[in-house]
Amino acid sequence: MAIDEKFTSIRKGLLEFLILRIIAADKVYVADMLERLSKTPFATQEGTLYPLLSKLRREELLDYEWQESEAGPPRKYYKLTAKGRSQLAELNRYWKQINVTVEELGQSA
Amino acid sequence: MNKVVTVNLNGNAYSLEEPAYDALRAYLDGAEARLQGNPDRAEIMSDLEQAIADKCRRYLGPAKGVVGSADMERILAEMGPVEADAGEGEAASPQQGAGAPRPEAPRRLYQVQQGAMISGVCNGLAAYLNVDVTIVRVIFVALAFLTGGIWALVYLVMMFVVPDANTPEKRAAASGQPFNAQELVDRAKQHYAELREQGSRWHDDWRRRRRTRRAQRAAAAEREFWRNAGAYEDAGYATRLLAGFMVPVFTLLSAAIFVALVLAALSLLVTGGIFDWTLPVDIPEWAAIIILVIAYQALHQPLRAASRASYETTAGPRHGWLAAADGVLWLGFTALLFWLAYLLIPEVRSLFDDLRFEWRHLTLAWTGW
Repeated sequence: MAIDEKFTSIRKGLLEFLILRIIAADKVYVADMLERLSKTPFATQEGTLYPLLSKLRREELLDYEWQESEAGPPRKYYKLTAKGRSQLAELNRYWKQINVTVEELGQSA
Repeated sequence: MNKVVTVNLNGNAYSLEEPAYDALRAYLDGAEARLQGNPDRAEIMSDLEQAIADKCRRYLGPAKGVVGSADMERILAEMGPVEADAGEGEAASPQQGAGAPRPEAPRRLYQVQQGAMISGVCNGLAAYLNVDVTIVRVIFVALAFLTGGIWALVYLVMMFVVPDANTPEKRAAASGQPFNAQELVDRAKQHYAELREQGSRWHDDWRRRRRTRRAQRAAAAEREFWRNAGAYEDAGYATRLLAGFMVPVFTLLSAAIFVALVLAALSLLVTGGIFDWTLPVDIPEWAAIIILVIAYQALHQPLRAASRASYETTAGPRHGWLAAADGVLWLGFTALLFWLAYLLIPEVRSLFDDLRFEWRHLTLAWTGW
């Protein structure tokens, strides 16, 4: 539990990056995203996700389109914009740098 | 037995037990309050309602037509609390410093581009010192003259060194207004949403208007041109010849006045007087320079008007090329006059020599410092 808490802010901060990654990989709607995250330490809920998605859309990183579903009302399927893809590429690069740094700092100089 | 309330969740009708309804109402009200100021609030709210409706459907079946309070509790737990700005970073998080009163933001020196003349250095300085920007500008220009241009270098350095106030936070810090991050962020978002909404409409409207404006302006220019062209034809041959002759004369005069101004100002700076004539004791140097500049303007303005008029008389309404050629002529005259003054007037010569010495002194002081 204590270990989990040490990374609370990191998990929170990474959520945006992960959402962009999920959307880049697949055309998804909110339930898919929640489903994919649910088995990970990044499990989240609608109450968090909808405001985050709307923020990302305001930043023009992603957009959605309505699509009919067999069961129930039409759904919003999200996809990245060009700006979103380029930002994700940058984030991926930065994330790799962080990983390398973390690895290197753990080794003796 | 429980009362049942029917609700409309984003266009879906559901029957809820009253406690379930109360819990849902409280959840949605809380969400709405937390999304206060979010431009997409309505959209997020309907997304949330839709998600709740989907979950309600899961709890209902052929044998069960009403959502109970236990179901609703579970649904709302699944939804999780609505966060005002997920992942927006620390700066906008309202928890920060909550409780304690926000201290006045420290005032910082920035360049403020809004309403700037060049780069916003004076503007930022005025905000920092809390004085009118005109005062700062006048002082800067006066200093530029007094220091023989060194102050322009200071300005240049400040242009590169002083950071730009490119965010609302920095703009607020430039004048040190107590600044509520949340409020500003909210206002910016509100603005953005309005812009987004009206953007495309404005864009079309603006383009249409620009088209008509351009057409009107072109027509007006054409009319003006032909009217002036008429006047130009009307000017007699002798008048045109005289005007053509006067163009370089005016230019020569203008260059001469300019050279006189520069020499007088330099002499003032180096020797404290204008050549042999020393200042009356009670006029400080900077005041003398300002008087010089005003006198220069007084002589130069009518000359400029006269030379513009002669351009038009000589070359007609489309006299841009003549004005450009005249500008080059002016530069040539100015250089020539400086050179002649240096060659023929001993006072000017010694002034330039002094100046060279002063400059060396200054650069030495600069590198030493």
